[in-house]
Amino acid sequence: MWTWFYKLASPPYVYAAAARLAPWFLASAALTIGYGLIDGLAFAPPDYQQGDAFRIIYVHAPGAWMSTFIYTTMAVAGAIGLIWRIKMGHAVAAACAPIGASFTLLALATGSLWGKPMWGTYWAWDPRLTSELILLFLYFGVMSLRSAFEDAAQGDRAAALLAVVGVVNVPIIHYSVVWWNSLHQGATVAKLGKPAIELSMLWPLLSMILGFMLFFGAVLCMRLQGEVLNRERQAAWVRDAVKSREAVKS
Amino acid sequence: MSSGGFWAMGGYARYVWPCFILGVLVLAWNLWSARRYHAAALLRVRRALAMAASEKNHDS
Repeated sequence: MWTWFYKLASPPYVYAAAARLAPWFLASAALTIGYGLIDGLAFAPPDYQQGDAFRIIYVHAPGAWMSTFIYTTMAVAGAIGLIWRIKMGHAVAAACAPIGASFTLLALATGSLWGKPMWGTYWAWDPRLTSELILLFLYFGVMSLRSAFEDAAQGDRAAALLAVVGVVNVPIIHYSVVWWNSLHQGATVAKLGKPAIELSMLWPLLSMILGFMLFFGAVLCMRLQGEVLNRERQAAWVRDAVKSREAVKS
Repeated sequence: MSSGGFWAMGGYARYVWPCFILGVLVLAWNLWSARRYHAAALLRVRRALAMAASEKNHDS
């Protein structure tokens, strides 16, 4: 297991593995998202209270799930970089931030569009909405902090520290609907033993969530390749890798 | 569900479709920006290689 862990810390290994994995992740994501969209939009029955407006769940819930999942991934990667001083941990954290911010923005925007017909307003200072907005600011903070330092290593450490401290917001987002009075509905999928959603509506939702996770895997691999190249520009293996890539092309 | 009914989304079309369009836009932006980020990093390495090669030629 330790050999595998040390391999993960090696930039040439990470670069090659990311290049190999990205197309597989992307193809699987296209299939699962495609199935989820068709089943969710055309075949799942309308909700007895919300009618067809409930179909927003197929974009909103996967986006919201990804926003917290990616933040947790970023914080764990940042912690690995901080504790074990593994550069690839910081590279993964840096690659996660813009992807996570975009999914948080998607969750907020689709939630707002869902809120208008259901609650009568695009926005309310509700605990779930507010904590999700704080998550977006945390992503922006992590990205700004990383680029605010002239010394890249210092920027990495500061950003990782903020990411680790900010991870306290993740359980707050999850339990906000339990701890406080909220307009937002409770958990739909988390209660796997007894999901609060009919099975014909649940399958496309699970497929969309899986598809978004695979898509995250694909874009993380792509971004990570750029991140590794930027960080290891001066290394001999990078020059060799680029030369051999050009030789294959020509 | 008829084709007209499908697009009307039971009267919620103006909320449902923008959400799916936003979803597609976010996925497309992520793909585009990740590819661009990688391509820009590759370009920087290629430029450094070309500069090193031209300096070597200049010295010899």
